Amino acid sequence: MKEKDGFIDCPQQQVILYVEKEDGKYEPMQTGSYITKNFLDDYELKRRHLEESLKKQVLSGEVSPIYYYMVLEDLTISELAARAGIRKGKVKKHLEATNFNAIPQETLQVYADVFNITIADMLKLLVANADDSVNTNTGS
Amino acid sequence: MSTIPYKHKMAAHCESGAVTSLLNNAGLDITEPLVFGISSGIFFGYFHKMKSFAFPTFIVRNKPGSIRNNLAKRLGIKFHTEKFRTPDEGMKRLDEMLEKNIPIAVQVDFFYMDYLPEWERVHINVHFIVVIGKSGSKYIISDSYFPNLVELESTSLRKARFAGGSMSPKGFLFYPEYIPKDIDYRKAILKGTKKACFNMLKIPLPFIGIKGIRMFAKKIVEWPSFARDTEHLSHEIMKINILLEDQGTGGAGFRFMYASFLQQASAILDKPEWSELSKEMMEIGDGWREISLFAARIGKNRELGPDRLKELGTLLTGRAEVEEHFFRRLKTSI
Repeated sequence: MKEKDGFIDCPQQQVILYVEKEDGKYEPMQTGSYITKNFLDDYELKRRHLEESLKKQVLSGEVSPIYYYMVLEDLTISELAARAGIRKGKVKKHLEATNFNAIPQETLQVYADVFNITIADMLKLLVANADDSVNTNTGS
Repeated sequence: MSTIPYKHKMAAHCESGAVTSLLNNAGLDITEPLVFGISSGIFFGYFHKMKSFAFPTFIVRNKPGSIRNNLAKRLGIKFHTEKFRTPDEGMKRLDEMLEKNIPIAVQVDFFYMDYLPEWERVHINVHFIVVIGKSGSKYIISDSYFPNLVELESTSLRKARFAGGSMSPKGFLFYPEYIPKDIDYRKAILKGTKKACFNMLKIPLPFIGIKGIRMFAKKIVEWPSFARDTEHLSHEIMKINILLEDQGTGGAGFRFMYASFLQQASAILDKPEWSELSKEMMEIGDGWREISLFAARIGKNRELGPDRLKELGTLLTGRAEVEEHFFRRLKTSI
């Protein structure tokens, strides 16, 4: 790859690309991400659709908010169980909507830490048209 | 606590980048491609079904940790390494080291690196960053994937260093303890290259090395059966581009950086035939780049029928063939 062919103008995401410089040397060049420059909108569209479809599943009582975040963050049940330090069988139960209300606050916090969200973010999913102003104390 | 004077530099890859930058800052003049080549970084592995991955995936580098380990062994460098039982212990030790003005590389889950845009952040436990200071509740970080020094909340760093799951970091940290005065690069380069050829050609597992590229080529047509819907498949196919280009490879799944290694090694060893091989590796990389662009395009256009996937498989088979030929020649030239 020649230097002039490799350069991509994308300040949002910079990467290092090894290219052939004019003197024939293969050296690093700071450039931009091809996919972010060209297809970020497509990624965002798919992400929005996935969020909407998962939220619908939560609202219709098919799955719990734990399932929502597990799929969104691309985790398997085994991986989520290992990260949360909770038995796999128990995690499986927590993915079902009917068992969600029985999950203790401390366990919810463990999941929230893994997902890097708040408990309130999870609870918001249970309310149709919930916005960011949801009361964060409703988790008790 | 203040920030340790540290020369930050972006790098192609996080592990070779962190190792190179720690060594450079400790006074050893070594480039990232040399670190990568000596440690036999180039690799291929295809994973069709794994407990920890939600979808088939592949890797283009050797096992995390091997870059540091192999380099240390081959150059006689000693790294101090440590893991911890509890987050409190791990964070305390980090602070102690920073008090002593020692920059420290730590292993983290990439997901919690809040300074990176959301679309880049995935749960992967083998990212390496260098911590160079602390200011209030924030740590000062040199991350080779980011153009500048950044700050990261202590709570995020703690979560990232002690994320559980596969290859969990357990607070792992390292820094160079001893760097020999005279280093014999020639022997190390030959050893690293020999091992890379072995990894690509000889590991008796059907999903590793050239055999792995062939398996990938064959199995890609089965990807639709793992997908929830077309958009999910499109996302996963476009991730081929991300894994080859964006996730710290220096382009074309490390093939461009390996070409740079061979070019530098050719000068060090005075082996003109390696200069030719480096050109060939650069062209091999161009072929991988073509695959990444093809994957991005068919993913975006949702052209994900069996014909297109077969086409992608054919491109991959092409890489397997040229790489097999390449690594055989490289092996005989050692």
